[in-house]
Amino acid sequence: MAHEQMNPTIEKILLNIEKVMIGKRNVAELSLVALLSGGHVLLEDVPGVGKTMMVRALAKSVNANFRRIQFTPDLLPSDVTGVSIYNPKEMEFQFRPGPLMGNIILADEINRTSPKTQSALLEGMEEASVTIDGVTHKLKKPFFVMATQNPIEYEGTYPLPEAQLDRFLLKMKMGYPDLAEEIEVLNRAQKVPPIEDLEPVIDLEGLLNLQKEIKDVFVDDTIKRYIVDIVNRTRGHGSVYLGASPRGSIALMKAAQAYAYMFGRDYVLPDDIQYLAPFILSHRIILKSEAKFEGISAEEIVSRVVARVPVPVRRFVK
Amino acid sequence: MVIRRDIPSFLLYVFGFLLLWEWLRPVEQLTDTNNIEMFIIFLVISFALSFIQMKWFWQSIIKLIFILYSINHFYYDAGFFQVSWWKAFLGDAADNLGLIVARNWNDFSSEFRTLLFFILLWLMVYLIHYWLLNRKQIFIFFFLTLVYITVLDTFSPYNAKIAIVRTVVVGFAMMGMLTFFRILQMEKVNSEGAFLRKWMVPLAVMIAFSVLVGLAAPKAAPIWPDPVPYLKAAQDKGEKDAAGPHRIGYGEDDTALGGPFIGDANPVFMYDGNEKNYWKMETKDLYTGKGWITSGTAPIPFRQEDLVPVYSFPQNVETIKETVRVNAHVNYKYNYIMYPAGIKKIINILPDDPKGNRFMIDTTNERIGFFKNDNRPQVPQILNLEFDVPKYKAADLRVTTGYNPDEISQEFYQQYTQVPEELPRRVKDLAEKITAGKTNWFDKAKAVESYFGNTEFTYDQKNVAVPGPSDDYVDQFLFDTKRGYCDNFSSSMAIMLRTIGIPTRWIKGFTGGDFIKYSTENSGNQIYEVTNNNAHSWVEVFFPNQGWVAFEPTKGFSNELNIDYGTGQSSSGSQSTTPAPVKKPQQEKIEDNPVKKENSFDFQKAWNQVKLFWKEHWKLLTLGVIILVAAGGILYRIRGKWFPYFVLMRYRFKKKDDHIAEAYLILLSQLDRYGLRRKDNQTLRNYARYVDSFFSTREMTQLTASYEQYLYHQNLPQDSWKESRKLWENLIKKTIA
Repeated sequence: MAHEQMNPTIEKILLNIEKVMIGKRNVAELSLVALLSGGHVLLEDVPGVGKTMMVRALAKSVNANFRRIQFTPDLLPSDVTGVSIYNPKEMEFQFRPGPLMGNIILADEINRTSPKTQSALLEGMEEASVTIDGVTHKLKKPFFVMATQNPIEYEGTYPLPEAQLDRFLLKMKMGYPDLAEEIEVLNRAQKVPPIEDLEPVIDLEGLLNLQKEIKDVFVDDTIKRYIVDIVNRTRGHGSVYLGASPRGSIALMKAAQAYAYMFGRDYVLPDDIQYLAPFILSHRIILKSEAKFEGISAEEIVSRVVARVPVPVRRFVK
Repeated sequence: MVIRRDIPSFLLYVFGFLLLWEWLRPVEQLTDTNNIEMFIIFLVISFALSFIQMKWFWQSIIKLIFILYSINHFYYDAGFFQVSWWKAFLGDAADNLGLIVARNWNDFSSEFRTLLFFILLWLMVYLIHYWLLNRKQIFIFFFLTLVYITVLDTFSPYNAKIAIVRTVVVGFAMMGMLTFFRILQMEKVNSEGAFLRKWMVPLAVMIAFSVLVGLAAPKAAPIWPDPVPYLKAAQDKGEKDAAGPHRIGYGEDDTALGGPFIGDANPVFMYDGNEKNYWKMETKDLYTGKGWITSGTAPIPFRQEDLVPVYSFPQNVETIKETVRVNAHVNYKYNYIMYPAGIKKIINILPDDPKGNRFMIDTTNERIGFFKNDNRPQVPQILNLEFDVPKYKAADLRVTTGYNPDEISQEFYQQYTQVPEELPRRVKDLAEKITAGKTNWFDKAKAVESYFGNTEFTYDQKNVAVPGPSDDYVDQFLFDTKRGYCDNFSSSMAIMLRTIGIPTRWIKGFTGGDFIKYSTENSGNQIYEVTNNNAHSWVEVFFPNQGWVAFEPTKGFSNELNIDYGTGQSSSGSQSTTPAPVKKPQQEKIEDNPVKKENSFDFQKAWNQVKLFWKEHWKLLTLGVIILVAAGGILYRIRGKWFPYFVLMRYRFKKKDDHIAEAYLILLSQLDRYGLRRKDNQTLRNYARYVDSFFSTREMTQLTASYEQYLYHQNLPQDSWKESRKLWENLIKKTIA
C-alpha cells in the first residue's frame, strides 16, 4: 500500500528500524501491527537473519524496556517469570523479577524448552500477569512478546500445542535478504552497529495512547461479515481438520484496525483483511494429514480461502 | 441450526406439498375415498403452520380441530358442538382401538380410518419438513413417489401421464435447491440473494428445457403390453373361480362380458298391465371388444307428469297409448327405474313426496333415476306409467337404404356405428354375407336377427366362454364357441350391423316375466312377475324415419313388434313430414341444463375465444413474439452502447451524496461489459488501480476512495458527489468508446 500516506509517527518508527535493518519492511510493519494491537508475534525462522536486531530496534524506537530470553531444554519457569529469594536480613522472601517483567521481550527458540516453561511464558502473554508463590504480579504495559521458533522438523524441539499457538496474534517468516540487501548488510557490518545510536520516536505513554486510538478505528459490518466469511470458510475447507476459532476472527479484526491506522485511515478496508489473513490465520488451523502429505501449507489454504470469498462491494443489509 | 423462513424455504414447502399431493391424487380414483379435498386442505394447513413455525402445541390444536371437524362433517349429522356426536365418536374410537389390539383391521369403521389417514398425513408433513429443512435430502421420497406413480400407472386404471411430468418437475426442482443448500452448508458460505438467483435461474431453465424436450421427444413403444386389462380379466377369473358364477341376474357392469349366467328366481318387480312387454333399464353405445360401456353422460331433470325427455318415436309412427302399474320388490336394488320402450310419462308414484319429486334421465344411456329431496337416489315402490306401443308399417321401415348425412347427424351416426379397431375383419365379412341381396336397413337387420335362429347356435347359460386377452367377445361367439345367452346374441347382432354401417345400440333390461293372475283392480289386465332370471339384453336399430326399433336376436326369445306387412303402402307423406330429430338428441338438451350452463359458461366462452383467436392469428402472434424477443435480446446485447447515455442523463441532476452507491455499482457493471472484469476476490482499490492503469488515469482510484468511504466507513464528506460525479462521468464516457 505504498501509495498511501503513512501515519507520521509510524513512519518515523519504521524509518528508525530501517536504519539498522536492511529491507524487511513488511516484517517491521507486521511487528508494529502486533505491538499496536496488543498482540504477540511468532517468528518461524532460522537463526542469524536479524530477528534480535529488529526487536531491539523496535524497543529502542518506543523507548521500551527490552529483555531477551534464550530458551533451552533446561530452562525453568522461574527463570522466565522470576523467583522469590529468602532475604536473611529482612527475614522474608523477596521477589526477584525475571526477564518477563520487561516491555518488549524476545523469546528465542521457544520450542527448544519444555512445555512447562513454555506455558509459563504463554500464561504471561495471555493474562498479562504471572503468579509466583501465590502472589500475582502484573506485567508491565505495554507488553509485547516476539517469540521465535525453529522450523518444527528440527530435532530436539517441543512443538507448541495448537491452543498455545492461538495466543500469538500473527505468525510470520523473516526470510533471507536478497542479494543487494545482503551486500548492504556486509557494508554496515564493517562499521559500528548503529543500534546504540537510535533515538526513541515516542515513549511508552505515547505507545499506549496509540493503542487506545487504534481501538476506535471503524470496522463496518460489511467488513465484519467479510472477516467471518473468511474464517468460516477455513472451517469447511476440505483439507482442514480444524478451522480457525472465533478468537481468530477477533485477531483478524484487531490486526486490521492497527494496520488501517498505520496507513492513516480510520476505517478498515477489505484490502487490509486480505493482506493480513494469511499471517493471522495460518497458525490457527490444523491441516488434515492428507493435505500435509501433499505438501500443502496452511498459508496456501488461507490464501485459497481468501481468493474464494467474494469481496463485499455493496452495503450489507441485515 | 436456526431455520430461516425465506422465499426458498417457502418454495421448498410448496414443492413438498405438491409432491405429497401426488400421493393423494390416485387415491380418489382407485379407492372409495371421497371428499379428498378435505385431506388436501389439511395438507395445506399443516404445511402452512409448519412454515410459519407456530409452536407445536398450537399446531396440534389447530390440526386436531380440523380433523375432528372433518370427521364430524363427513359422518355425523349432529353439529360440531353437540355432545351426542362426541359421545358417538369417542365410543367408536374406543371400539376401534379394541379392534387394533385384536388385529381385526378389516372391521375398522370409516370414521376411524379417516382419523388414521389424517394422522398419517400429519406424520408425512412432519417427515417432509424434516427431510427438507434438516436433512436437506428428498431423493428417497421423490424416488418413492415416482415408483408409486409408475406402478399405479402400469397396474391400475390410473393414468399418470401428466402426474409423472409434474412429479419430475417438482422433484428435480427440490433436489436442485437442496443440493445448493447442502453445498452452502458444507462450505460454510453465507448465502446471499444474488448467489441464489445465480443457481435458481439456470436450474429452472434446465428443468423447463429438459421437460419440454422430454415431452416433445418421440418415445419408444412399451416393451410389454398394458397389463391392466389382463390383470382385470385375471382378477375377474379369480373371483369367478372363488365366488362362483360371473353373472347373476341384472348387472350394471358390462365392461367384461362372458362366463356363465346363473339363474336367480328372486322376484324383482311385478306389473299390472294390458300386455306382456319388455322392460328397458338402460342402453349402452360403446363396444370395447370385451363388453359395453357408455360413452358419456347427459343428465336432464324432469318432474312427475312431465313428458319423459327421451326420444322414442317420430310422429309418423302410429302408436297405441297404454298404462301400466309397477310394483317394485324389495329385491329391486338399482338406483334407476324400469320402463317399457316408448315411455311417455310417469303418472304418479307411491310413496308420494308432497314437496315434488325429481326425476333425472341420462339421455346417453337412458337411465331414469328418481331423487328425493335430499338428493338421494331411490326407486319408488309403486309406479304408474304411461307409454306408447308403436305400430310400424313394414313399408316405412324399408325406406332407409343407406346413410344420409341430411337425416342423421354425422356425430350421432359415428357414435352408434362405432366398432373397436381390433375387431376382426371376418365379422364384417360375415355380416356382408348374411345381408347379401338385401337393399334396405330393415331387411338387413331382419336377416342378421334371423341368422341366429340357425341351428349352429346354441342358447346356453352355463357353458359360456370368457374372451381371452386377445379375443374379441363377438368374434369369439360368432366363429368359435357359437354358444351363449342373450348378451352374446344381442352384442353380436349390434356389432355385425354396425360393421355394415347401420346404427345400433345395446339395450339392457328384463323380459316380460311370468303371468301370475288376472288383475282384480283393472278388468282385462294381467299381473306378471319379473325375476332376476328375466334379466335380458337386446338390440335397437335406428331408422331415420322410424326412430329406434327393437330387435330380438336371442334364440328362444321373442319381443313381438306390431309390424304391418300387409298394405305395402307407406304412411302418407311420411318422408316429407318427418321432422325426425335425428341430430344427436342429448346435444340440444345439454343446453337446456341450467346448472351446467351457469358453472362453466363465462370461463369456457372466454377460453374458447382465446383459442379461436390464437387459431386464426397464430402466425402473426408468433411472429410478433419472435420479433419482440429478438428486439429485446438485441437491445440487451448492445446495452453497453446505449445504457451509459441513459445513466449519464439520469445522474446528471442528482445531488445527494448517497448516489455514489448506485452510480458506482452501475460503473462496475459497465466496466465489466467493457471487458475490465473485476474478480470476485479483487478489492475495489486493487481493481481501481487496474482500471486506471488501463485508461492511464487516476480517476478510478479517486472515485473508489470516495466509494470506500461511503461503503466501509459509512461516512461521506459533504458534497462529495459533486466531485465524484465528474470522475464518474468521465469513466462512464470512457467505457462508451
